[in-house]
Amino acid sequence: MIWKSLSSLFKKDCRMMVSGKFFYLALGSLVFYTLFIHIGYLNFMQDNAGIYQVYLYDPAGIYPQMSPLVHPTDSLESLDEALAEDRSGGVGIHVEEGKPNLILYAGTEKVDRHRADYALLLLQSGSDYKPEIVGEYPLESKLRREITCELLFIEMVAVGFLGIASVLFKEKQMGVIHIHAIMPLKKSLFICSKVFLFLLTDLVFAVFLTLFNVGFREAGAILPAVLVQTGILSLMMAFTGFVCTMLLKDFKQFSLAYLVITLFMATPVFLSANTAIKTDWICYHPFYHVYMGLKDAFFGTPVSNPVYYLCAAGAVILLFGITTIAFRREMGKEG
Amino acid sequence: MMEVKDLTFSYGKDKQALRGLNFMVEDGEIFGFLGPNGSGKSTTQKILTGILKGYGGMVSVFGKDLKSVYTQEFFQKIGMLFEFPYLYANISALDNLRYFSSFYPKEQLRDPEEVLDELEFKKDFLKKPVSTYSKGMRQRVSMARVLISSPKLLFLDEPTSGLDPAGAVLFRRIIEKERKKGTTIFVTTHNMLDADLLCDRVAFISDGKIVAIDTPKNLKEQNSNHSIVVTYQYQGRRKEQTIKALDVKAGIPFSYDELISIHSQEPTLEDIFIQYTGRRLS
Repeated sequence: MIWKSLSSLFKKDCRMMVSGKFFYLALGSLVFYTLFIHIGYLNFMQDNAGIYQVYLYDPAGIYPQMSPLVHPTDSLESLDEALAEDRSGGVGIHVEEGKPNLILYAGTEKVDRHRADYALLLLQSGSDYKPEIVGEYPLESKLRREITCELLFIEMVAVGFLGIASVLFKEKQMGVIHIHAIMPLKKSLFICSKVFLFLLTDLVFAVFLTLFNVGFREAGAILPAVLVQTGILSLMMAFTGFVCTMLLKDFKQFSLAYLVITLFMATPVFLSANTAIKTDWICYHPFYHVYMGLKDAFFGTPVSNPVYYLCAAGAVILLFGITTIAFRREMGKEG
Repeated sequence: MMEVKDLTFSYGKDKQALRGLNFMVEDGEIFGFLGPNGSGKSTTQKILTGILKGYGGMVSVFGKDLKSVYTQEFFQKIGMLFEFPYLYANISALDNLRYFSSFYPKEQLRDPEEVLDELEFKKDFLKKPVSTYSKGMRQRVSMARVLISSPKLLFLDEPTSGLDPAGAVLFRRIIEKERKKGTTIFVTTHNMLDADLLCDRVAFISDGKIVAIDTPKNLKEQNSNHSIVVTYQYQGRRKEQTIKALDVKAGIPFSYDELISIHSQEPTLEDIFIQYTGRRLS
């Protein structure tokens, strides 16, 4: 009986999704992202992917064995000038009291780890300094993985989240949720059917996006791990979308919540993961870990820490509980 | 079929919705629950249909304590018509019925087309999406949704709301037909005509309390002033007089040339409701 009920709910949800033209939106996103990566992003990034220039001001001459790729300067002003004129994303090294201080340009306090590692490697050429190797991929492959990961994350956080809300708001407006309250079916099946449908859609989307943009040959090796991370993020977003729809009155209110969630939740994650901007609290941001998990999966080094998976499972169970309460509350409202 | 003892419910600390309801509904009875908005009608119905939990007192349905019968079996035996015709607007009447009936055992299901036919649903619209239907047609499909699973206990919330007079007559006839089959029917309404024409017994609810419970006939008789209005013609002029029913025993106690009409002055259910509660039903 449970399977029969679930199958009825699932078929109905598929029809709702089709009539809501959500598939067209997903298909449109897939085509748009693929064209963007192939026609725009790869060409632009490869053209501008020259090696970073490294400039050094070492008044005491502490680093005599530096690489010939390092450009020495004779004053701090010259170093600032070189950085200001640089168009390669160059890194400056100012050796003070025997220690190399890394700077991007005058005034910046931080530098990303990738560039820091590269600059220090050149500075200590021939020494025992070994940078951390995070992967050995050709530039194009690295760019493809990076951008595909970012677009998949955006798609799930922003677009997929909207999808479940649009279907649910329709059902809420039609009042049919009240009918399910007096139907002989387990109420949790109503939630499960919807969440599974959106999970399935996200997984299919992830498969195609990865195949088309990382490449059929390379995608095979990373897909299982990518799908696991996609599944975790998709479930979290679907439950969050479900709860918001149940708690909020209409799509207008939802739009505001949507902005808050996408902007204030996703933006710090992107900034922390992809730029030099780092905030101390980012390690407490759950989506930061999920995003890094997805990125690791794309670079073939999936998260192996069981604590991560336990936390993800705990979060999904907690969200399911909150969703059930919100759903029951909605069913009990005045018809 | 249904027994309610000292039923209480509160939505919060200061929002006492039900204050100790007591009533019983017999097998095959049509029981009307009359009260204005906010009186506790919907809350009672939600408790009886298993939507609201956390109530006080005792509710027994199908001979069992409601707290122990919240099972799939309980929901298979009940049906509920909401005041508003809730349906999936993007699919047809038939697809709606097929979807909602898919949760019930096959043995208790009726043929969707046959049920719609009984409700005089226009055949041309069977496969058109619900969004193209009028409110009356939607209400017919909603009623079909309820009847298709042959429920033993039927909850009807304002069953004739949104229907034209012919539709209202049809719905009353169908409700009567269901009762003849042995279905117990619980009607919540503030439509006195429905209550009067349909219900075997009615309960008046106001501020979460039942203030009167009896058959519509008894309520009217008990609250009648037993007077009669006589309209007559006398010396070329039309006149009207109200007299006590007992006074007619010995004939009309005044002079007249011609009697035009004699009407008993029976109170309506609304009049009685006002007498008991000091409030109107709607």
